[in-house]
Amino acid sequence: MSGSAAVSGTASDAVSALQLALTAEQAAAYGYGVIGAHLSGAQQAAATADWIAHQVSRDELEKLLSARGAVPAAAAVAYRLPVSVQTAAQARTLAVLLEDRVTAAYLGLVALSDRALRKLGAEQIRKSALRAASWRDATVAFPGLTASAK
Amino acid sequence: MAADPTRRTVLAATAALPLLAAGCKGVGALAAPPQPAPDVALLRDVIAAEELMIARYQAAIRLAPGTGASAGSAGAAAGDGTGLAVVLRSLLSQHQAHLARLSARLIVPAGSRYPPALSHRRTPAPRLPSVPHQLAAHLAAAERAASGRLARQLLAAPPSLAQLLASISASEATHVPVLRTAGRIG
Repeated sequence: MSGSAAVSGTASDAVSALQLALTAEQAAAYGYGVIGAHLSGAQQAAATADWIAHQVSRDELEKLLSARGAVPAAAAVAYRLPVSVQTAAQARTLAVLLEDRVTAAYLGLVALSDRALRKLGAEQIRKSALRAASWRDATVAFPGLTASAK
Repeated sequence: MAADPTRRTVLAATAALPLLAAGCKGVGALAAPPQPAPDVALLRDVIAAEELMIARYQAAIRLAPGTGASAGSAGAAAGDGTGLAVVLRSLLSQHQAHLARLSARLIVPAGSRYPPALSHRRTPAPRLPSVPHQLAAHLAAAERAASGRLARQLLAAPPSLAQLLASISASEATHVPVLRTAGRIG
């Protein structure tokens, strides 16, 4: 690893950011399974569509990591959900929380110097912000960022 | 040169550059005002676009049904129209938050040719359609374009600014479906 310090520094930043995004996508894919079980009709259909979107993104991140010679982080068998889900309203709250975490994770890709990864990060932030806004039934000024941070 | 000044990530670091250059040219070079960095030009461009968006919303709110002056327009069903002005005010407040956070990043070295604020440049009032659904569609198209523009601009920005631009771009993208819905009911 000491051969090309300048390049490996950048490459390891990319791997770390991709792994964080992967972890968030895995948690979202798991969470949407729970969310869908508590919804019905059009909302369940929306949850299913979002669930598939997270699975596709997860697979894409795994490919990007493998292409960089990294081993994609393994998904957990089960995740401790940030909220307990018994009702449809709680299911929607969980969807918002999961999307916010995914959005924040992809901000790590946007900070990289690799233009392709930066572009991917920005596209995913837009998509997760759109999903979050739909579940929240409201928009926010700074998706993925804390409101107070500079 | 071990350090590459073009790789800096902090806008405020531009303050050091003219001094480094001055060190090579002698004291006389200190008289030259510092040049704003390319990042500052990008930030100013983004700020100008956000100011234009705010001007659009302010003009749209004056035209939207449910905003005092235009209330009582013929054919309005009960509750019809009050939604659009409320929605526009809510989205405007998010654009004002974008502008505040962008402006907070504009650190220009003292003595620069450019003032830190953009108050010298007044955004002209944009022309907007007055029919509510066309007004909402017009704003939706403007949001979509602004979001796409930021998504391209962030590719050339320093990391933390790129993150802010990505977040604002996403926020503006989420305004599009809100405007489309408000246009249908408003």
